[in-house]
Amino acid sequence: MKQQLEALRVEALAQLDALSSQKEIEDFRIRMLGKKGELTALLRGMGSVPAEERPVIGQMVNELRQLLEEKLETKASVLASEAKNARLAAETIDVTLPGEQRTVGGLHPLNNVLEDLIDIFRSMGFDVVDGPEAETDYYNFEALNVPADHPARDMQDTFYLADNLLLRTQTSAAQIRTMENRKPPIRIICPGRVFRADEVDATHSPVFHQVEGLVVDKGITMCDLKGVLEQFAREIYGPQTKVKFRPSFFPFTEPSVEVDVSCSECGGEGCRVCKGTGWIEILGAGMVHPRVLSGCGIDPEEYSGFAFGIGLDRLTTTRHKISDIRLLFENDVRFLDQF
Amino acid sequence: MKISLSWLRRYVDIDVPVEELCDKMVMSGFEVEGIEDLSETMQNVVAARIVRLEKHPDADKLQICTMDIGAEETVQIVTGADNVFEGAIVPAALHDSHLPNGMHIKKGKLRGVPSNGMLCSGEELCLKDSDYPGAEVYGILILNEDIVPGTDMREVLRLNDTVIDFKITANRPDCNSVLGVAREIAVALKTEFRLPAPSYKTVEDDMKNHIDIEVTDYDLCPRYLGRVVKNLRIAPSPDWMKDCLKAAGMRPINNIVDITNFVMLETGQPMHAFDLRDIAGAKIIVRRAKDGEPMTTLDGKDHTLTSDMLVIADAENPSCPAGIMGGLNSEIKEDSQDLFLECAKFRRDSVRRTARALGMRTESSARFEKGVDIHTVEYAMERALQLIDELDAGDVLGGVIDRYESLPAPRVLTVKADSITDLLGVSVPHETMAEILNSLCIETTLEDGVLTCRVPSFRDDVEGRADLAEEVMRIYGYDHIVGTPMTGAVTRGKKLPERIKTDRIKALLCANGLQEITTYSFIGSKAIDLLKLPADDARRQAVVLKNPLGDEYSTMRTQLFTSMLTVMATNFNRKAKAVRLFEVSKLFIPKALPLTEQPIERPALSIGLYGDGESFFTLKGLIEQLFAAFDLTVKYVRSNEPFLHPGRQATVMCGDTAIAVFGELHPDTAEEVGLTTRAYVAQIELPALFEAESKLVLYKPLPRFPAVERDLALLCDAELPAADIEEAIRLGGGKLLESVKLFDVYQGAQIEAGKKSVAYSLWFRSNEGTLSDSDIEPALNKIFKKLEEKGCTLRA
Repeated sequence: MKQQLEALRVEALAQLDALSSQKEIEDFRIRMLGKKGELTALLRGMGSVPAEERPVIGQMVNELRQLLEEKLETKASVLASEAKNARLAAETIDVTLPGEQRTVGGLHPLNNVLEDLIDIFRSMGFDVVDGPEAETDYYNFEALNVPADHPARDMQDTFYLADNLLLRTQTSAAQIRTMENRKPPIRIICPGRVFRADEVDATHSPVFHQVEGLVVDKGITMCDLKGVLEQFAREIYGPQTKVKFRPSFFPFTEPSVEVDVSCSECGGEGCRVCKGTGWIEILGAGMVHPRVLSGCGIDPEEYSGFAFGIGLDRLTTTRHKISDIRLLFENDVRFLDQF
Repeated sequence: MKISLSWLRRYVDIDVPVEELCDKMVMSGFEVEGIEDLSETMQNVVAARIVRLEKHPDADKLQICTMDIGAEETVQIVTGADNVFEGAIVPAALHDSHLPNGMHIKKGKLRGVPSNGMLCSGEELCLKDSDYPGAEVYGILILNEDIVPGTDMREVLRLNDTVIDFKITANRPDCNSVLGVAREIAVALKTEFRLPAPSYKTVEDDMKNHIDIEVTDYDLCPRYLGRVVKNLRIAPSPDWMKDCLKAAGMRPINNIVDITNFVMLETGQPMHAFDLRDIAGAKIIVRRAKDGEPMTTLDGKDHTLTSDMLVIADAENPSCPAGIMGGLNSEIKEDSQDLFLECAKFRRDSVRRTARALGMRTESSARFEKGVDIHTVEYAMERALQLIDELDAGDVLGGVIDRYESLPAPRVLTVKADSITDLLGVSVPHETMAEILNSLCIETTLEDGVLTCRVPSFRDDVEGRADLAEEVMRIYGYDHIVGTPMTGAVTRGKKLPERIKTDRIKALLCANGLQEITTYSFIGSKAIDLLKLPADDARRQAVVLKNPLGDEYSTMRTQLFTSMLTVMATNFNRKAKAVRLFEVSKLFIPKALPLTEQPIERPALSIGLYGDGESFFTLKGLIEQLFAAFDLTVKYVRSNEPFLHPGRQATVMCGDTAIAVFGELHPDTAEEVGLTTRAYVAQIELPALFEAESKLVLYKPLPRFPAVERDLALLCDAELPAADIEEAIRLGGGKLLESVKLFDVYQGAQIEAGKKSVAYSLWFRSNEGTLSDSDIEPALNKIFKKLEEKGCTLRA
């Protein structure tokens, strides 16, 4: 009996080693350890074993059973892991193949830039207001210190809708509406669409966009104006950006200035973008004209303020180096998708 | 305003390089639009004497010239001209020279004979007879024989000069003059300004013996000054005057015309010369024209006048419109003997309106429109008479007729110096303020911190503290302004609710893959025809521009479809396979036509889609999402827009109001616009979304018990709207029915004609416990009953 057991043990271990699939493992388990398996059969032959040897033989049989079960389990897990590894190896893909993308839409580049401006000015406490695009002569000109037949009207070619109605030539019209309806302190920006009778070319469009800014309070100075514009310019063009004032003329501000920023392309050294000057003109600004303040019922002796007008289209084209303003209104998706 | 340096130097010393001068002027408020170095156009061209002239051995028409160019060795140049002769002084373009007409001359060979340059004609040097006598003769320009060979032609032609083009802002009409700019240069360079002091001799005869002046409308002509010059000696002007005029872009004509132009440019005050013999009745009358009165101006054009125009008339007829252009009948001619010289101030809005009405714009009218100074009238006249005397162009008569009602006294401003500091934010020393203002001819005294300023009449723009602050600062230097963070009351930085909601709409559309577009607010007058709207459609009532750039940009849009379709077609024609676009813009709705008040500006949204996978329902899905985002309950009903597919379009109703229309583009419209694919468009009125109250989202507990799902397959009339079936299911389902979702619609061979099969998934759920079949039995039965009422049968 012992010899039989030993022979079975050698035989079984040899077979077990050669097993190569889950099915063979299962077959082997049934063949050896099943109800009709070889080891079970051996156990059934215990009757022929002398009684005193039975416990020893019994123990040997159990040990063999236990050994085979353990080995089978190990074998099964090795095989399973080999199979998994083989599957994973077969599933290898070319990771350099392109990804699949969902189409995400986007804002028009003008509004992308506008969103940035709104963020910058709101963080400085400016409310964002709106105003009509079809304006009266009063709000677009008269109240802004440009009386009828004033030569300053020649600075802007105006589209008229009726004798007294026009398409606003400047968002400055919103200054007046704001000052009529609010008491100082006033800090607003008014982004919007404006219209001028300019023939369409690479740098002109009869429809364009401005962001008007207005601050009215006690003790507002030109230095405050420069401070606000420096903050704005640094957010848009980078922290090293410098701001320069040049004297200019607008009927509704006095003093009036053109505002240049140091060229972000060359850092002020002079290059093609800034035409060698090191500076780029970005907006007009000034201290609100006392006549404009008093016309809105604000005492210019008590309050002062500043206003500025940013050309959004020009800011967008210079920022993204767009060579032709017409691209903004053509809406070719190959252009729009770039932003 | 173009001015040459040599002209400016008559009144101010300029000892700095031209770039530095320009920088300083820019920083004091005078933008420089261009700098033209006249000498740059002509290089290496010299006056040369023809020493010897020989025939070319191989060409009949060519001659070989041996040229003395003032150097030790002569130079050989071959010429084809036949007006040259030995001893002639001619312009010679040497090897590697540049001519003003753009030619670059190099040495070479002509028919085998070396030629080291080119002899030049007047035309090749871009000269006219008025630039150099004989310049327009065909052939080589023969120069004055006194010129020393070797002299640079730029010296001969006085081209060693630079012309600066200053941009003069509208508040500084005084600087539309050489004297005005020179005065500013003197301040910028901190040097002296020399104003010419006119003096001249007169003959013993009073002008009043020859003419009288009457001004009937002082409101339009505050001052009219006249003088008479007899025995005119009309001749060309001297070179210096011609050079000044040419640099400024004016053509020299003769001494009298040139003097009036010179004085206009020098002082900014236009002048006009009349032939005295053509003034009927020896009387000048400055009056309003009569309605319908005819007149012919100097340019030969006939005009019909109206009573709001000011004219200069004689005893019989109007001669010319005041301040714009001379009349044909009274201009100075070659044989004119005596002249009447006019110098006046006309009201600027009157000149502006008249010039526009007559369609004329001249150097003179431009200056009157910007405003001339009432005192400069007198100075300009004195200056013109001085020049007439100096150039011996005629005999100035004694006496003067000077018509005005009153001459305004200089404006005196009293301003606390500190109040200027308050505005600027930097403290300029009070003494410096006074110095700067004085240098600008604003006579200023400083006492106890108070500036008292006498503003000269030519600085009409200086009215108060802010203007003085600007004058001080532009000279003191804007680089002294240092940015400071704003102080004062804290403000919040609010957005309007409409903007916040628009941002939400845009975010939702972008998340759905839509790209925003931006188009013009005006469209062509016929653009709306694309939509084939009936004649009485409200959208045909549009605001029209009175002065559009062209018909294409003439009409304020009342809808966004046409612009959207144009953009879609553009992209389609450029081979874009698919687009998803939107635009948010304003519609302009007139309250009445013709327009009497501001139109309503109504914000609207348009959507346009085409490409694989797009359908009526992808568009509808977007619209549903939009209204769901604003908690708006809407209904979709069939619509009948002529430009949309008759069977695939809907109006969105919110209560009784139509707030959107959308659908598939009608193939006819699609073809017309060049969009030959199925396309889907929508327009949504945004006020409806703006007015929707945004509800705060309140948390609903997550379900604790599982849902029971039932699928229903139904057979019904093909015409029965799905919305009706769903409504029936919801009515029957009651509280237990959590949701209904359509998952299949079928029409075809498997079912009888005129019918359709629809399939729904229904979810039932209770908060009290897990539902069993028997729990939902009553609800299902009610649903079946409601569906039967609609003519639906259950499919086996």
